[in-house]
Amino acid sequence: MGLSFGTKAPPTALSGEVVVSGLGKSYGAARVLSDVNLSMNEGEVVSIIGPSGAGKSTFLRCLNYLEIPTEGEISIGGAHVVAGGKLPDKASLDHLRRVTGMVFQSFNLFPHLTVMENITLPQRKVLGSSKEQAEEVANKLLKQVGLPDKAKAYPARLSGGQQQRIAIARALALSPKVMLFDEPTSALDPEIGLEVLAVMRDLADEGMTMLVVTHEMHFARDVSNRIMVMGNGGVLEIGPSEQVMSEPQNERTRQFLKAVLDR
Amino acid sequence: MDVITQWLDWLPSLGPGLLVSLQLTGLSLLFGFPLGLLFAVMASAKLLPLQWVSFFFVEIGRGLPALVLLYLMYFSLPDAGITLTSFTTAVIALSWNTGAYASEYFRAGLAAVPLGQKEAALTSGLRGWTGFRMIILPQALRISTPPLAGLAVLIFQGSALAFVIAVPELMSKAFEIGSITFEYLSVYVLTAVIYGSLTLVFLGLVRVLEMRLGRHLQRN
Repeated sequence: MGLSFGTKAPPTALSGEVVVSGLGKSYGAARVLSDVNLSMNEGEVVSIIGPSGAGKSTFLRCLNYLEIPTEGEISIGGAHVVAGGKLPDKASLDHLRRVTGMVFQSFNLFPHLTVMENITLPQRKVLGSSKEQAEEVANKLLKQVGLPDKAKAYPARLSGGQQQRIAIARALALSPKVMLFDEPTSALDPEIGLEVLAVMRDLADEGMTMLVVTHEMHFARDVSNRIMVMGNGGVLEIGPSEQVMSEPQNERTRQFLKAVLDR
Repeated sequence: MDVITQWLDWLPSLGPGLLVSLQLTGLSLLFGFPLGLLFAVMASAKLLPLQWVSFFFVEIGRGLPALVLLYLMYFSLPDAGITLTSFTTAVIALSWNTGAYASEYFRAGLAAVPLGQKEAALTSGLRGWTGFRMIILPQALRISTPPLAGLAVLIFQGSALAFVIAVPELMSKAFEIGSITFEYLSVYVLTAVIYGSLTLVFLGLVRVLEMRLGRHLQRN
């Protein structure tokens, strides 16, 4: 990356990639996130690992302002926001959320809408798509996540793994530039989690830029280009996946990896 | 049977009274429920004055017995230069009463929708009014439906209070018949049967509605 942190980058030059600099968040005196820096190229997949309470989810949720960061800058896919402890102006916020797709640990499908409606409603309201256009996109995405026959089902009728795959389809329907995954398999049993990981793997192969908070070490090592290890509200280390997994530089990282890999 | 013929004789004069009761209830719910939703939304508004206004109307509406509210409005409005028919006065008082209680049920319903739903709406670009109307409200309404139905019944039964400000509803008609025939017990039993059976029919319909509203949550 030719960008140095601290200088304000022109938003247009950053299309299709992620640049986060000096991101921090405090609740009064309590500092939950400090000085997180991350640059990602288009098509890159970065996994974020680390112990609970490390700030992984908080960091991810700051990127689309589900949490409000108190300092730093975020540039994602042409959207640029300087943090200041409050919501940015509507246009910037809309832009930021428009270029990011979010997948939650608890799926958060809309229970009163069918699978088809879950995927078409955002398109119709945000993109102004016609019903036919939106359904065409939805059908394509349902095929992509392996659930072409579930369009008419309500979420409660689906297994957790199926719900999460639909949630991925819903996020993809708005053609985000970057997909944010917040522990997408943590609420699923290990076997069911695999079907979600398979969809994510395909997505990565297709060149989607992805940022994944996860406890799935195999996924982190095999699918992501880089691993970012977080601890205590900051970045412990970041590097190529193989390297972080096999030769972690930080003592705390070694400890964490030992704990998750030796079980 | 004697009683049956007697009741059949009275029905034609009770009928219009029942109609007025139903109109009074219907209008009070028609105005009261949206008012309740408005109060509920205002109660969690960022703007403090909105919260105060909501608090004021809700606490008076819940704090005073409907009967007291009816009397207060009936006797105070003319002094303020506002002359309304007793029916209109009753609609206003009962709407206020309905709105105050309904706001609490809406508030509970809105609070029961998981935060993740709002977050998913925001990240799907469904913010503001759109997200509220399409995502949050439908889920809140399903949760609020049973207590709101109970409130509707209470208001229907409470509409009998409008009798005291001379609204010609069911109860006042029954009283009229009683004062002419001196068959008070008989006519009030008939009135009770009318109130009770209509309530049961209504609650049955609500049961069907609830099942329809919850259909999407059934797993098989």
